[in-house]
Amino acid sequence: MRMLGLALKMLLDAPAKSMGTLVGVVVSVFLMSQQLSILLGILSLVSAFADGTDADIWVASAATENTDITDSLPATRVAEVASTPGVAWAAPVIQGMSRITRPDGVRELVKVVGVEPPRYAGLARTLVDGTQRESLRGPARVFLSWSARPAFAFPAPGERLEIDGKTAFVAGFFDKVDPHSSYTYVFANLDDARAYTQFPQDRITFVATGVSPGEDAVTVRQRLQARIPDALVVTRGELSAMEVRHFLRRTPVGMVFGMGTAVAAFIGSVIVAITLYSSVVDRLRDYGTLKALGATRKDLVRLLLAQAWLFFAVGAGVGLLAFFFVKAHAPQAPMLAPPWMLAGVMAVSLTSCTLASLAAVRRALAIDPAIVFRG
Amino acid sequence: MSTSSSQVVLEGRGVGRLFGTGPLAVRALHPTDIQVRRGEVLVIMGPSGSGKTTLLSLLGLVLSPTEGEVMLDGRTVSGGSPDALALLRRERVGFVFQQFNLMPGLSALDNVALPLLLRGTSARERAARARVALARVGLSDREAAKPRLLSGGQQQRVAIARALVTDAPVILCDEPTASLDGVTGKAVLNTLKDLATDLGRAVVVVTHDDRVLAIADRLVEVVDGHVHERASPSAREVHG
Repeated sequence: MRMLGLALKMLLDAPAKSMGTLVGVVVSVFLMSQQLSILLGILSLVSAFADGTDADIWVASAATENTDITDSLPATRVAEVASTPGVAWAAPVIQGMSRITRPDGVRELVKVVGVEPPRYAGLARTLVDGTQRESLRGPARVFLSWSARPAFAFPAPGERLEIDGKTAFVAGFFDKVDPHSSYTYVFANLDDARAYTQFPQDRITFVATGVSPGEDAVTVRQRLQARIPDALVVTRGELSAMEVRHFLRRTPVGMVFGMGTAVAAFIGSVIVAITLYSSVVDRLRDYGTLKALGATRKDLVRLLLAQAWLFFAVGAGVGLLAFFFVKAHAPQAPMLAPPWMLAGVMAVSLTSCTLASLAAVRRALAIDPAIVFRG
Repeated sequence: MSTSSSQVVLEGRGVGRLFGTGPLAVRALHPTDIQVRRGEVLVIMGPSGSGKTTLLSLLGLVLSPTEGEVMLDGRTVSGGSPDALALLRRERVGFVFQQFNLMPGLSALDNVALPLLLRGTSARERAARARVALARVGLSDREAAKPRLLSGGQQQRVAIARALVTDAPVILCDEPTASLDGVTGKAVLNTLKDLATDLGRAVVVVTHDDRVLAIADRLVEVVDGHVHERASPSAREVHG
């Protein structure tokens, strides 16, 4: 701590250089946070169906890579699942692509998810604008995505739409199930969904399953898998991870944002390294004087680390403020900033600044204290 | 070059320095014996390149001898690790440089307190002792000034205050008056003399400046790496 004041005064003595370094750290922390938060935001959309609906376990065709790339199951699977020990309930869910006709005539791509009354298992957990599950009861009732309302010209409850040329009425809205794709979700009654997507009567897409109280989802999943080995049985978390894995494997998004984050960390590190090193070179006589006055190697290491950490503390603070400002003013951007991500950015930035000081430390330690006697 | 051993605080025994190795080696200082006593001003003179700064660097433990040894308070200290030598300098040696070597970002007070900061002295004690040292060199009213706002003479007096703030028994000065005008230089010399007579410090001054002879208790000359002690400061005039 005793070196902190000296470090600060040395930095303030070269304000232009220090400001340049600070800007580098700010930009680095901002970019790392922004890139990671967008990646996490996109991944949350990718797994939105698994995360945002209410089943504990999903049973699907064995030929499933994610919820988009899947096949169908015989409808009889529902009874098999329901009769398995540890299962509290099981309900059929179907899904299929269709089109909603917008007021301007454009046919918007939608994924219709059919859920069965009275439980409506597989329905989005978050319903908004006064929407109740029971609002789906009755023919041709559909729930639309709250965030997708602009695409449908902000339809009001009760308004009539057309899905695949067939009548549908807006019965309410759900939230937090928005895919990272060009389609939007629509929830409907099982029978209506079959009609909108021309889904065969004897087939289903998933069996949404609830676990009995006190039962462990993984244990029940293993039991189900043993009973129906020709199907895929996954917990909600496993389905979510499957979606993310598939997305990262099949698209360059993870690579792009991951590289963006790495480059941001690298740039911050390089800027701090160059500045600290050049400040030592500029101040050879000062560091030589410190050595002549009795500064040990440890003192010099502490002094340079203190400078690097001051850059980190101020730069990271300002960088995060800038990030949260942008996040607050760009609600349309899918940005998530969980505490662990922010802690990770801080840790990477601190490590970068620390590593960046090593070259400067090495240079300072090599200074001959006898330099002070040279004119 | 013997003196009363009871008062010797700093001593070089057969101390010499060779730079480089083999046929390219350069002899900067031939092995020599030299003693510095408490309460005296020892002046080292000689032409440029004669080896006097090398001698000062060896005595100040910023350069290691290739021959002989340096003793501080009767203990052999040369040959220690860089950190061990740094700790010795911190505790036992004060420096005054030709170029002052004040930290530009620090106030006069902070510059004076710097050796105490390295020692880990508390902020309150640092400030108090630095103020006493600044008062001793007559700069109490300039404690907040950064070096660039001080005259050359004031900067050198801040450097002297920095050298005496730790109560180090040895103060080594490299051309302390070289950058100063006559009046300012004389004031600085008086301050250095006071350090020896009033505070009992051993003051070693390397210089080209004949004015320094006025405060010298002893004079040694370095010529071509050979050290010669003159019987009295006035003897230099005969030699020179």
